[in-house]
Amino acid sequence: MITLFYLAGAIAIISTVAVIVQTNIVHALIYLILSLLAVAVIFYVLGAPFAAMLEAIVYAGAIMVLFLFVIMMLNLGQHTIDQERSWLSLRGWIAPTIMAGLLLTNFLYVMDGIDHGVEPTRVGVLEVSVLLFGPYVLAVELASILLLAGLVAAYHLAKKRD
Amino acid sequence: MNITLADLIPLQPLLIVTGTAVVTMLAVALKRSHGLTAGITVLGLLVATMVAAELMATANDQVTPLLIVDQYSLFFTVVVCAAAMFITILSYSYLAPLDDDKEEFYLLLGIATIGAVVMVSSNHFVSTVLGLETLSMSLYGMVAYPVHSAKAVKFPLEASVKYLVLSAAASGLLLFGMALVYAQTGTLAFADIASSAATAGMGTGFSVIGLLLISVGMAFKLSLAPFHMWTPDVYEGAPLPATSYLATIGKAAMFVVLLRFVVASNALAFESVVAVFSLLAVASILAGNLLALLQENLKRILAYSSIAHMGYLLIAIIASYDAEGAVSVEAVSFYLLAYVIMSLGAFAVVAALSSSDSEVDRVADYQGLFWRAPWLAAVFTAMLLSLAGIPLTVGFIGKFYLFFAGVEASLWLLLAALVLGSGIGLYYYLRIVYKMILPVPDSSALPNSAGSLGSHSVLALLLLLLIVLGVYPAPVMAIIESISTLI
Repeated sequence: MITLFYLAGAIAIISTVAVIVQTNIVHALIYLILSLLAVAVIFYVLGAPFAAMLEAIVYAGAIMVLFLFVIMMLNLGQHTIDQERSWLSLRGWIAPTIMAGLLLTNFLYVMDGIDHGVEPTRVGVLEVSVLLFGPYVLAVELASILLLAGLVAAYHLAKKRD
Repeated sequence: MNITLADLIPLQPLLIVTGTAVVTMLAVALKRSHGLTAGITVLGLLVATMVAAELMATANDQVTPLLIVDQYSLFFTVVVCAAAMFITILSYSYLAPLDDDKEEFYLLLGIATIGAVVMVSSNHFVSTVLGLETLSMSLYGMVAYPVHSAKAVKFPLEASVKYLVLSAAASGLLLFGMALVYAQTGTLAFADIASSAATAGMGTGFSVIGLLLISVGMAFKLSLAPFHMWTPDVYEGAPLPATSYLATIGKAAMFVVLLRFVVASNALAFESVVAVFSLLAVASILAGNLLALLQENLKRILAYSSIAHMGYLLIAIIASYDAEGAVSVEAVSFYLLAYVIMSLGAFAVVAALSSSDSEVDRVADYQGLFWRAPWLAAVFTAMLLSLAGIPLTVGFIGKFYLFFAGVEASLWLLLAALVLGSGIGLYYYLRIVYKMILPVPDSSALPNSAGSLGSHSVLALLLLLLIVLGVYPAPVMAIIESISTLI
């Protein structure tokens, strides 16, 4: 089990890095799908099959495939690849890399010495739904309001003027 | 802790605001009418304000683990709903000349108010995030609203994208911090964080990092320096009603959450958190006031001044750990009320002079306003003097309260920054007042007749509040004292 966890974690990290450094946007998106699937595997290993399923169906499945279709329809050619490549110049990388490296060392330093033991407890569909329709029912309602706000804003910004 | 029918009674203000948004949406679907939509929104917000004020005497309930409806949250529900109502009235004349559909703006404003009401009643991470995201999501739309208008004076889309990207990054930090705190304590409710601190060792491990990440995420939303970069650009690029919403309700709701979180979770027991908060406060006061000196655009000046005011407020938050009793909570509550009144008043004057196709927002444009429109100039002067903290205005009482809280906790260094900042602040506030007294130039951008009846009555009401609370603050102070003991 623990090998699977580290394997999926490594794949997730490598593919996320690949998303950033890829210059071809379609390749980058496919790496993103891979990264999301790897995270789904991590959820599964940690005992949350429902979260794993949602991650695979909603994120990797629906949203990313939609992204991929839109990008393919836009038909971006060599031009965007060159532009992406020009943005990935070494100079732009130096400062963020140093800062991120500092943060990482900081984080590792703090995490050092903490017991990393993980005991997976199964959180299935039943447990999630009992919470969602019990004490957290207001959260579900509020999430629908949040989506309404996004919908109205997107409708207004994206509509064509006649 | 499932929801029951009895739980719906304390939730009435929230339900009324939600109902307003839904009715607005249905009305837009049936018939597009600018006046009708604005009217429904104003009416709904007015009813919500009155119901919340009515409930304040009795309600004190935890409704499911997510929301707490006590006198404190109801007080700020009143503030949020009333301010949203004022902004709706201001939007009506501002949006009138817009050559695009105007109705969705009120819908977004209503939904943003739902988010703000949830935030002021939240004592749980889940409701904090949901309320915050609802508020921000509507604001993205409101900031970019005039994007289709050919005559849009500013750059709404640029402002909205900047706000969207930075706000999403801040939400990411906030969520990561919450996840770390949850990993350490196993709870998402504010109150349980402190009680589990003794057992699970809140001070050890990554929970302090979690607290710091949460503080940084909130500092982004409150535009505290050094996380303030987005503020002036977004304030300048957004249409005025959206700017005033962002500057008043957006900030106040976030600050109430921060206060509740800090007080309930005992986060200030850790020296590193206190150090970060103190740095944020000093940096915001100095950066906000010094950078405001260099600005020629009124919206940018108000943006930097809001950064400084958030820094002042943070002093009272830091004081809440050391000071005896609830004096610092009172100071924060009173100053938030004062800040909403004076900041909304200042934006309301600019909004009364502007419309969606011509914004009067350069300081130079205000030359001679005293001779052209004495009433607007008088209100503007009062608001600016209050922002500067001159006696007889609500701003002075508020600042005095903050100072008092700081003295109680003996935060001398922070108080020195407060005094220094207020001194610098005087200069750029009075510079605008001075500009208004100068004679009218030949090529004046000022319109001859400005503002609708609605916006003038909003101005009159805000001016009245500003002076009454500045001269005779005792009744409101009594209310704030009684609600602050509960938090």
